[in-house]
Amino acid sequence: MTNSIGEIRDADFLFVIGSNTSEAHPIIAMEMKRAVRKGATLVVADPRAIWMTSIAKKHLPLNPGTDVWLLNAMAHVIVAEDLIDREFIAKQTENFEQVKAVVASYTPEKAEAITGISAGDIRWTARQYATTEKAGIYYTLGITEHAHGTDNVYALANLVLMTGHLGKPSMGMNPLRGQNNVQGANDAGATPMFYPGYQRVDDPEVRAKYEQSWGVPLSPVPGLNLNEMMKTAGEQMRGFFVMGEDIALSEPNVLQLEKGLNEVDFIVMQDAFLNETARFADVILPAAVFAEKEGTFTNSERRVQRVRKAVDPPGEARADWEILVMLANKMGANWSYKNPGEVYAEMVKDAPQFAGISHEKIDRTAGEDQMTGVQWPCPTPEHPGTTFLHENGILRGKGLFTPVHYVPPAELPDENYGLFLSTGRTLYHYNAATQTRRESGLHAKQSEAYLELHPRDAKKRGIRSGDLVEVTTRRGSVQVRAMVSRQVRPGCIWMPLHFAEARANVLTNDVGDPITGTAEYKVCAAEVRLLKSMSDSEYLFPGSYYDVRGPEL
Amino acid sequence: MNELTLNGQTARFAEGETLLDIASRHGVEIPTLCHDPRLDPAGACRTCLVEVEGERLMTPACARTARGGMVITTENARIDRHRQTLMALYMTDHPHERESEVGSPDLLLDMAARFNAPTDWGWMHPIRDVREDRNPYIDFNAETCIACARCVRYCEEVEGVSAIALVGRGSHTTISTVDEKSLLDTTCELCGGCIDVCPTGAMNEKLPLMRGQKPERKLQKVRSTCNFCGVGCQLDLNVDPEGRDGLGQIVKITSPPPGATTNDGNLCVKGRFAYDFVHHKDRLTHPLVRGSDGALHPTTWDDALQRAADGLMGVAERRGADAVGFVSSSRCTMEENFLVQKMARVLFRANHVHQCAAT
Repeated sequence: MTNSIGEIRDADFLFVIGSNTSEAHPIIAMEMKRAVRKGATLVVADPRAIWMTSIAKKHLPLNPGTDVWLLNAMAHVIVAEDLIDREFIAKQTENFEQVKAVVASYTPEKAEAITGISAGDIRWTARQYATTEKAGIYYTLGITEHAHGTDNVYALANLVLMTGHLGKPSMGMNPLRGQNNVQGANDAGATPMFYPGYQRVDDPEVRAKYEQSWGVPLSPVPGLNLNEMMKTAGEQMRGFFVMGEDIALSEPNVLQLEKGLNEVDFIVMQDAFLNETARFADVILPAAVFAEKEGTFTNSERRVQRVRKAVDPPGEARADWEILVMLANKMGANWSYKNPGEVYAEMVKDAPQFAGISHEKIDRTAGEDQMTGVQWPCPTPEHPGTTFLHENGILRGKGLFTPVHYVPPAELPDENYGLFLSTGRTLYHYNAATQTRRESGLHAKQSEAYLELHPRDAKKRGIRSGDLVEVTTRRGSVQVRAMVSRQVRPGCIWMPLHFAEARANVLTNDVGDPITGTAEYKVCAAEVRLLKSMSDSEYLFPGSYYDVRGPEL
Repeated sequence: MNELTLNGQTARFAEGETLLDIASRHGVEIPTLCHDPRLDPAGACRTCLVEVEGERLMTPACARTARGGMVITTENARIDRHRQTLMALYMTDHPHERESEVGSPDLLLDMAARFNAPTDWGWMHPIRDVREDRNPYIDFNAETCIACARCVRYCEEVEGVSAIALVGRGSHTTISTVDEKSLLDTTCELCGGCIDVCPTGAMNEKLPLMRGQKPERKLQKVRSTCNFCGVGCQLDLNVDPEGRDGLGQIVKITSPPPGATTNDGNLCVKGRFAYDFVHHKDRLTHPLVRGSDGALHPTTWDDALQRAADGLMGVAERRGADAVGFVSSSRCTMEENFLVQKMARVLFRANHVHQCAAT
């Protein structure tokens, strides 16, 4: 996030796209609710009528995967009606003319035909966004989990840059991070392209610095990203070390991946629970969970906060960092870290934008009158941290406009697979659900997988709520119970990703974004058929928002 | 100029501030029960009444917007007498005994003791209906409820789901749901904010009660960061150090007070209630290795680490270091991610290290 979570309450216009905020980020949703209560205008762009649409001024139910058309058409309106921030563009950005030329052909009328959003709504949203000073964009995996996710992000960034919505509170470009330490894992260099602090592995100067620090020659070749590693499992990839992720549940097109994992020579897995990946593991190392260890997580707003040990782990389970030190030493390293604070200190030593942060500094912020944690950039120990970015000019020098053209999703519905399938998280579970499915209340609220489909599509296939159905794509099929709901639009179906007995990722497409490798979890072609009528249970989850009948579409 | 007089001192204020805001900024404490900085003022509990010069009646500091030139008194004999009387009245149908505090703290008992309120003004048997609810997380004890509606207002104003409401009239007033449905069958999202804001412990966490665990005041709070989504909520792990034969047991999770954390005192259903997994019987407690029979067998750390090291180094020797991939985790700490990438880069001389990040 360029800006901070606490600034959301003071925003006057919120453009939420590809984010089911109230389920995936409930506390950020509370900030948005607070803004709306204070009079802010909320616009939600999402194929589903998610909860947030119930307090939105406008819901833009775009056709899945047509984000670039919607966003370029908004840019078109902003340029055509001269709502751009000329001074900001001239002083702080480059390459505007290219974007201007590209969006010229993305008229709202043409966009209406492709996105399904009326030209009037596109114009209204563009005008509101451009003319409101405190206007923020909030997005998450609905933007990035596409074969063209990077294009979607560029299209959003173009809107931010052309309207100058950057460098002040309550605006900016705000990806809401999905996991406790997504931001931190990337910051710490667990990524094939970068050392800690986004320093490129193919930059000779940077590499020389790390060769000096670590005392060994380092590879100048960027590594494979997760998507590529999974696709080459059993071919190039012959050994895996897997910590804290259930790849056989969470990666797309898992049946294909399982074939590859069967060909892999050796897999070490480090986790707190047995999971689907355990079936392929040769060695399993028992790990402590967050409440049993020390360390730090970095949240969506770049805030580094402490994780503290409250209880001892069960049996012989050990903290992940301890296990990593032991394992590295078995493989010939000579690591002598006594605690995570020492590891953190080593990390920030070579990463300038974290250099001022330490465990001790974070611990000092735990008072009542100071915000807890330290937000990077924080280059020196005296630096207070940074609540919003780009205040004194854009960090890379000039904000770069990047023209993007619409490319359709990799797989669209056809005569055999007539429906759009999208997948995601629910409020009551979390990713592989090894933790949340062991909780009584979460189980009481949502005990099993389900498939949302529109009454019209259900009727066509003779399906009623509660019936057992089979969902099939080109990659596989799963059995789940149907939930007939107007939360999804006609022609679209939706499934949660949490349930091992009905793995949504048997169905999903593993085509990856050309730059990030992030897979297209959000769009593929699927078909549904009735397996068994179970009409005695009309409501799967009484009281849940999913059962609230949305407006007729 | 926006200035008023607060207990004889000149105090500046911003447009729209309430008397309570100004007092707390100037370090003057005014007692409150129904007030919450996240909510619109309600003026329901009457504990924050103060005197404004020239006005016959006392006024609730939480709900009164300041005006220039006001002369405010927050402590005097009349205000003391009011607080004593109010507490004594609350006590006529509120359990007096500290032992009745089984879970969350009852701040009303603290306040009554602090103001030395008489507790012998008679006893009205509480006539509020007791409601059974099969939801496993939120317990409501009508007997200790003072109908201040802080929970109801939180449910509407902060969480935005309006699952609970004040129902009944007069002394029958209590907290309930539409048609007295279970919270599981309402719009409730089990965020537990009602428990967090309740000043009297009437809203309580159900699991620790059912398990007969120690009340909150006897637990140790350890401040940490939630391990679910990327918001980074601060939470307090409430630990019984004697639990699990001295290994320590998480009894409940509470949110730190609003104000100094990203979550501003709020938590969601997962952050507040999903902690049973920590002590779950399915946790891995021993290293496991796959035997020649194809099954997983427990072993010692030394054996497991040696096999893991030999296995990974063996792949590198046979197929090249380029053949080993490291899947790190955005669930683990910064430090752990740093160590994994260092392991890949230093010991295997390759950059095949990534994790499940997609934003």
